[in-house]
Amino acid sequence: MASIQIVDMEKHFGEVQALSGVNLEIEKGEFFTLLGPSGCGKTTLLRTIAGFYHQDKGDIYIDGELINNVPAYQRNTGMVFQNYAVFPHMTVFDNVAYGLRVRKLPKEEISRKVSAALKSVHLEGYERRTPDKLSGGQQQRVGLARAMVIQPRVLLFDEPLSNLDAKLRIEMREEIRAVQKSLGITSIYVTHDQEEALVISDRIAVMQQGVIQQIGKPWEIYRNPQNTFVAYFVGKINMLTMRLDEGAEQGLRRATLGNLSFLVPSEGTEGMHEVIAAFRPEDLIEAAKEGSQNEITGILKTVSFMGSLARFELNVEGQEITIDRHRPREADMPQKGAAVSFAVPTQSMLLFDPKTGRRIGKGGRR
Amino acid sequence: MSSGVRTSRLHGHRPDIWSLVIFAGFAIVAIFLIYPLFDVFRYSFLDKVTKTLSLSNWKTFFSKAYYLRAFWHSILIALLTTFFSMVLGIPLAFFTTRYRIRGTNLLNTLSVLALLSPTFIGAYSWITMLGRNGFLRLFFQSIGINLPPIYGAFGIVLADSLQYYPFISLMTAGALMTIDRSLEEASENLGARSMKTFFSVTLPMILPSVTGGALIVFMMSLSNFGTPMIIGGNYLVLPTLAYNLYTSEISQTPGMASTVSIVLMLCASVVIVLQQWLSSRRKYASMLVNRPVVKRLKGIKSLLAHLLCYFIVFFSTLPLAVIVYYSFRKTSGPVFKPGFSLDSYRQIFFDVPKTVMNSFLYSLIAVLLIASVGTLLGFVIARKRNAAVRVLDPLLMIPYMVPGTVLGIGFIVAFNRPPIILSGTATIIVLTYFIRRLPYSVRSAASILKQIDPALEEAGINLGSPPGRTFRTITLPLMQGGIISGAIMSWVTSMNELSASILLYVGKTMTMPIKIYLSVADGYFGTASAMSTILLVVTGLSMFIVNKYFNRGSDTFIAA
Repeated sequence: MASIQIVDMEKHFGEVQALSGVNLEIEKGEFFTLLGPSGCGKTTLLRTIAGFYHQDKGDIYIDGELINNVPAYQRNTGMVFQNYAVFPHMTVFDNVAYGLRVRKLPKEEISRKVSAALKSVHLEGYERRTPDKLSGGQQQRVGLARAMVIQPRVLLFDEPLSNLDAKLRIEMREEIRAVQKSLGITSIYVTHDQEEALVISDRIAVMQQGVIQQIGKPWEIYRNPQNTFVAYFVGKINMLTMRLDEGAEQGLRRATLGNLSFLVPSEGTEGMHEVIAAFRPEDLIEAAKEGSQNEITGILKTVSFMGSLARFELNVEGQEITIDRHRPREADMPQKGAAVSFAVPTQSMLLFDPKTGRRIGKGGRR
Repeated sequence: MSSGVRTSRLHGHRPDIWSLVIFAGFAIVAIFLIYPLFDVFRYSFLDKVTKTLSLSNWKTFFSKAYYLRAFWHSILIALLTTFFSMVLGIPLAFFTTRYRIRGTNLLNTLSVLALLSPTFIGAYSWITMLGRNGFLRLFFQSIGINLPPIYGAFGIVLADSLQYYPFISLMTAGALMTIDRSLEEASENLGARSMKTFFSVTLPMILPSVTGGALIVFMMSLSNFGTPMIIGGNYLVLPTLAYNLYTSEISQTPGMASTVSIVLMLCASVVIVLQQWLSSRRKYASMLVNRPVVKRLKGIKSLLAHLLCYFIVFFSTLPLAVIVYYSFRKTSGPVFKPGFSLDSYRQIFFDVPKTVMNSFLYSLIAVLLIASVGTLLGFVIARKRNAAVRVLDPLLMIPYMVPGTVLGIGFIVAFNRPPIILSGTATIIVLTYFIRRLPYSVRSAASILKQIDPALEEAGINLGSPPGRTFRTITLPLMQGGIISGAIMSWVTSMNELSASILLYVGKTMTMPIKIYLSVADGYFGTASAMSTILLVVTGLSMFIVNKYFNRGSDTFIAA
């Protein structure tokens, strides 16, 4: 049985539809991420589960229990806040002990549990400190310890790392993941950082304008996006709108863009005259001297050397595309303004319907 | 909605203690504001003789010079006071923020002390200095200068300006200190001389604060009762006129007193509306990247700047010093004798210990009420903005535009007949203190709350703590400093309240400000001085505590 179930949820703030038709099932012990740009409804959904907002329609179940009318303070969810929300007038110990004291646990047990929680977030010895003496990362560790020490039915993370610097973010996300797995508490994690989502999650729900666009494992979300929004939002992707020729041959159909000509999978393109062909920057290969299938030639606009890779921005028939070269060598670098050629393997191409943005062909779900 | 609407309710649809607080807020407004003010309104439209609905009172007001004159006097006094407060306040603010003036903190403290001291003390002190046998008048006479009589417009404007100019100087100084230096530098870099820069960049930036302060001064002066009562003589302004009318109408319906009260309240409302409109307009907030430089002046320029600043503050503190001095003079009845003694203090503690006790006790009870009710209502306004609260919020601000005299008249006409009879009780005095101060307390609690992240309360709720417990264990401790410093300011204003309580007191509920007024009227200056000194010490100590223990700057005092 699912640990958390959201059924047909709707929520609006005034005119703004914050959530519409949201359905979710999260497994016990799963690390589930809500990913999307700001204003997509991910935080609203999280806060509705916590009980800070009340949905207009729909049901929330935790461990099979309908909690629609359970007030926030009785929901037993542990929330980790974006701006830490560490109580500034209490010591680290008192912060972590707060939820246990509310639950009227015996003193010795509180002290034992707080110590264990602080140990698991590497804050042993900080019990007597006050929050103003802690760095942002340390404050968020207190926030994490405080949320998990009450052994909640679900841990809720509201962009917990967005206020930390890049290096600390990477360190902390690994710790969060490790602590969550060792405790086995079901977790819902909200972020707008797609890389963070890919690294940390068991599964991801990508949201936009209050609607869940796709739910899947990180690998599926990246490799098998179901619409152009997901493809765009997670990782970098190139999209070229091409005209389709009539007739298919051996499961392939010819598509043209200006002087360029491609072979794309024909499955699902029946009756269409145009298609969006998408491919990741890292999937392009160098074109052979004698010419390759699906060759793309364009004028090099910018070259950015980024250390482990070099990124080329190309102008192809009036459209911009990005190409990544790994392990670049200075001697091989083309000059700005030069005409350069790459090729897209047919199997790397993802096709989308230009009218609906939906994925078509193999890998597309209907 | 990643930032969401944070003010929405924290949990489901059930009623909680906050519904009760909202209900109590409406009850307070209805019983202690709407009901008495409506009574005043009603009486102004009630014919004195026939007791029927009529415009006779209003006709009298607009046809007799006696009434209209008081109206114009009020406007004139308020305008002159505002003007002179600006004349004193703006240069003081400019010099103390832009140039190095030694002892700026002392200057600020002294001017705030003058601001917070009871208005009637300043007025009374000017009488001792410039009255018929005042020592300053005699001194000027001896060098051949005959000063105009102190009683009347001259005295009121003098005392009011020297009391209220700190509103202007503190607000202007606040604005001057937060202008980004780069803006003035940019002007100079573009070729403007420093005078040109001041008039084209600096002045426009501080103008909202200056006008904001000016409106406060106008409002304070307009509704001030103590100063014109003591020093006004026959020069009547609206508050003193209303008071006189009320005492002369004591056995009849207070028709004319009510009419004058409504006029006074309308004037005050216009000022408040203007002020709200002004403060809702764009303010030039800066990120304070570059604080303005404090320049060092040399030689004669420095001397002149120091002289000017010290002269202004000295003049405003002089009345207070004179009062303290007189309180230690030897007396025999109403007459001062050569030499020093504690006679006056002895007299207070033997003759009227009850009065001193009353002042402390009433203020204490009022402050406890103000702080607790104000904090709860402030919480509701800052955190629970539903339809009811949106209606309640402006209603709670009504006392801002009700001068003390008007509230006093309202209370006495409304609460000396069933269903609520409070006249002659200590309760009615405490309630006036409470109502007059409540909007400040609500505002200040709400603004403290705006600086506390709602996520802290959500964290408490999320960890299993019910709303009441969350408020007690998280919100309240975080608000503590602000609440206490606000409460101390309420304490000071309650201790010094005269305009409403003078209409409501009876012998056994007399307070120090009332006793001071009566002593001055009877010519017992020694007792008046000693009691004034006690009030001054209380005021000064309170200020010191707020400054020292709550680390609040001068802005706390002007918000009060």
